[in-house]
Amino acid sequence: MNTWFKSGSPWVWLSAGGVSISLISVIGLLALIASNGLSYFWPSPIYQFDLKDELGNNSVVIGEIYDRETIPAAQLAHTDIVLVPGVETVERLLIKTGNRELVSLDFRWLLVPQIIEMTTPEDLVVIERRTNGNFYGRIDKVIQAGEEVSLAQLPELLERVNGFQADIDALQKENIGAINYQLERQRLKERKHALDNTLTTQLSQQFAAENSQLEQDYQVLEKQLLALREERARDQLVVIAMDGQKLTINFEQILNLHFNNQMGTFAKIGVFLSQIGGFVSDDPREANTEGGVFPAIFGTVLMVLLMTVIVSPFGVVAAIYLHEYAGKNALTKLLRIAVINLAGVPSIVYGVFGLGFFVYMLGGSLDQLFYPETLPSPTFGTPGVLWSAITLAILTLPVVIVSTEEGLSRIPSSMRLGSLALGATKIETLWRIILPIASPAIMTGIILAIARAAGEVAPLMLVGVVKMAPNLPLDGNFPFLHLDRKFMHLGFHIYDVGFQSPNVEAARPLVYATALLLVTIIVSLNMTAVSIRNKLREKYKMLEH
Amino acid sequence: MITVTPRVQPDSQPIIDLNNLSPDQVALNINKLNLYYAEKQALQDITMSIPKGQVTAFIGPSGCGKSTLLRCINRMNDLVDHCRIEGEINLHGENIYNKNVDVAQLRRKVGMVFQRPNPFPKTIYENVVYGLRIMGENNRRVLDVAAEKALRSAALWNEVKDRLNESALGLSGGQQQRLVIARAIAIQPEVLLLDEPTSALDPISTLVIEELINDLKKKFTVVIVTHNMQQAARVSDQTAFMYMGELIEYSDTNTLFTTPVKKKTEDYITGRYG
Repeated sequence: MNTWFKSGSPWVWLSAGGVSISLISVIGLLALIASNGLSYFWPSPIYQFDLKDELGNNSVVIGEIYDRETIPAAQLAHTDIVLVPGVETVERLLIKTGNRELVSLDFRWLLVPQIIEMTTPEDLVVIERRTNGNFYGRIDKVIQAGEEVSLAQLPELLERVNGFQADIDALQKENIGAINYQLERQRLKERKHALDNTLTTQLSQQFAAENSQLEQDYQVLEKQLLALREERARDQLVVIAMDGQKLTINFEQILNLHFNNQMGTFAKIGVFLSQIGGFVSDDPREANTEGGVFPAIFGTVLMVLLMTVIVSPFGVVAAIYLHEYAGKNALTKLLRIAVINLAGVPSIVYGVFGLGFFVYMLGGSLDQLFYPETLPSPTFGTPGVLWSAITLAILTLPVVIVSTEEGLSRIPSSMRLGSLALGATKIETLWRIILPIASPAIMTGIILAIARAAGEVAPLMLVGVVKMAPNLPLDGNFPFLHLDRKFMHLGFHIYDVGFQSPNVEAARPLVYATALLLVTIIVSLNMTAVSIRNKLREKYKMLEH
Repeated sequence: MITVTPRVQPDSQPIIDLNNLSPDQVALNINKLNLYYAEKQALQDITMSIPKGQVTAFIGPSGCGKSTLLRCINRMNDLVDHCRIEGEINLHGENIYNKNVDVAQLRRKVGMVFQRPNPFPKTIYENVVYGLRIMGENNRRVLDVAAEKALRSAALWNEVKDRLNESALGLSGGQQQRLVIARAIAIQPEVLLLDEPTSALDPISTLVIEELINDLKKKFTVVIVTHNMQQAARVSDQTAFMYMGELIEYSDTNTLFTTPVKKKTEDYITGRYG
């Protein structure tokens, strides 16, 4: 035993155990999130449940099984349900029944003992709609321009509607959006002239002329839009819900329509992939509980990139000062301690600081200096993507400083001396020799900064993130990148969907899916940075001193 | 002050009287140089003249101050905290420790090669032209010519001419050291300081470098620090023996090794200590 200890193998086992635990937790975490998240996109079978309730009434429920759990029978004691005596637990199923306009809740618990029969009829359809969530039921009639046509026409009609949708989106977002944006700019210009007392009658006539031109353009576009909408709303679908009610769904409401019970594996994979595609590229709907998360992805990535652009130069410059120029005295030590402690400050404190200092003080002053025409509505004096990026840059600054300094101190002094001996000044040595060699360490700092910033939510809630941003911070209107705009963020989206939505049950898979996406994005951002670092490492590989 | 009269002159060397050099024979004039690391004195009252176009070796036991003295010549000791220097070193009659001396300019005139090869993690070519780029030379043709010339002078051209754009870190230790010498002579210094240039190298590389030093003195004044007495005897024209921060004896190499005047010198070169 003693020799076994001396041989060192216990430590090998211990460290191997540590590594395994970390590996298992990482893989387990990813697997859990992935399985829960991805199952949301998989077209699951639609069941028809024939029930007999406690009063002896028969009823039919149609929907997808979301969850199943076992509850103690005592929990049901206050109801009229007659249970077999001696049974202590009852299994129940959570069914997503959809049809929000017919029933108040689109989820419903079924007790297994009440289910008489459970079938998967092939004619059951799930229709994903723009409003009111999913519809589960059967198709009764397809109506094309007021006349009934056969069910075979359905795919063609759906195709037609989707074609319109792209046009409508383009018209609405790009053309009409641009005109609105221009109108607002015109108004601000006029106001600015008015504030500066340079508004002549000639100018105001010019503005009026331009505005009326824009208004005319707007009218034309609006007419086009209405025409398109009318075209799109031509066809209807009559459907039968589970309780036999008939319902007319306009085609313009339909996003997609699937007969899940008829699909083979390949068809299901196709639907699965297209659902994932939609999730990644669409805008959210229905208070974020449905649809995609594209604006949140965009906001997260943009904010992280902005943060990187801000934090890297500041961090590197600070590290260079601390390591190369600052004297080795108590003040430098104090500075270093301050930097390290900065990393320990809770992130919400940064949020409060960002709100108070950046948003209200800096942003408020900027508004008064440069955007007086928009006041009292603030431009930069309100949370926005710029302030978020700066706040997170401060949050991640210590990480960059510490790892850059680490990198600087690892460079052998012979490099410095070699360069100085050739007549280079200190700054030339820094720029041409030291910084390139330290660049992998700087990249390490940036990687850590990205990893920290991308996962941070708390401070962002104070300085720029919103539940629903009407516009992306980047669009086709000059100046293209609108740093003053608020944005959506995946981390906040998870919180919002998971805990703030009216329908928590419905949102749970979405929370997992969003979490998976957030992890994927952070990992891919990191991977990019890591591969850049590895290239730099290869390039500036040091001698084995 | 040391009074030494050289007895034997190496073949085909102009006769040099170290105590009586004419101003145009002097490359460097060190005058009453004292150096302190904080309170500890590392060099005591060093006075000597280093002749132009010759190889001068500093020998002595470890910690005797020979490297410190060498580093004084291109003011590398400026980089050491709490280092204080008194006295003067004259290059062309101008004290390099004057306040208005541009240290970077000085180091272009007085190049230095260190104990361990320290090529930059760049290509061979970029290593050689580094000093020229620092001086603002970016004309590719000028750089090409200078790089080839420097590499030929450092006896490295034939080995690297086909791989100029490969990393300098792929070279062997001896090649790296010659590359570093090429890098130093590419900017045409007047004096070349070599701080134990072969102590990290194998015997064959050492031999190549020693031959190179012999060639270099045709163009540059070379000052070499070595702990290897045979090497000093092989490569140098003048040798200075230092002990405990003092210059004990300074004369032409043959004299110093055959008929040393001071007891300490004799003890050292006969291997009684050191």
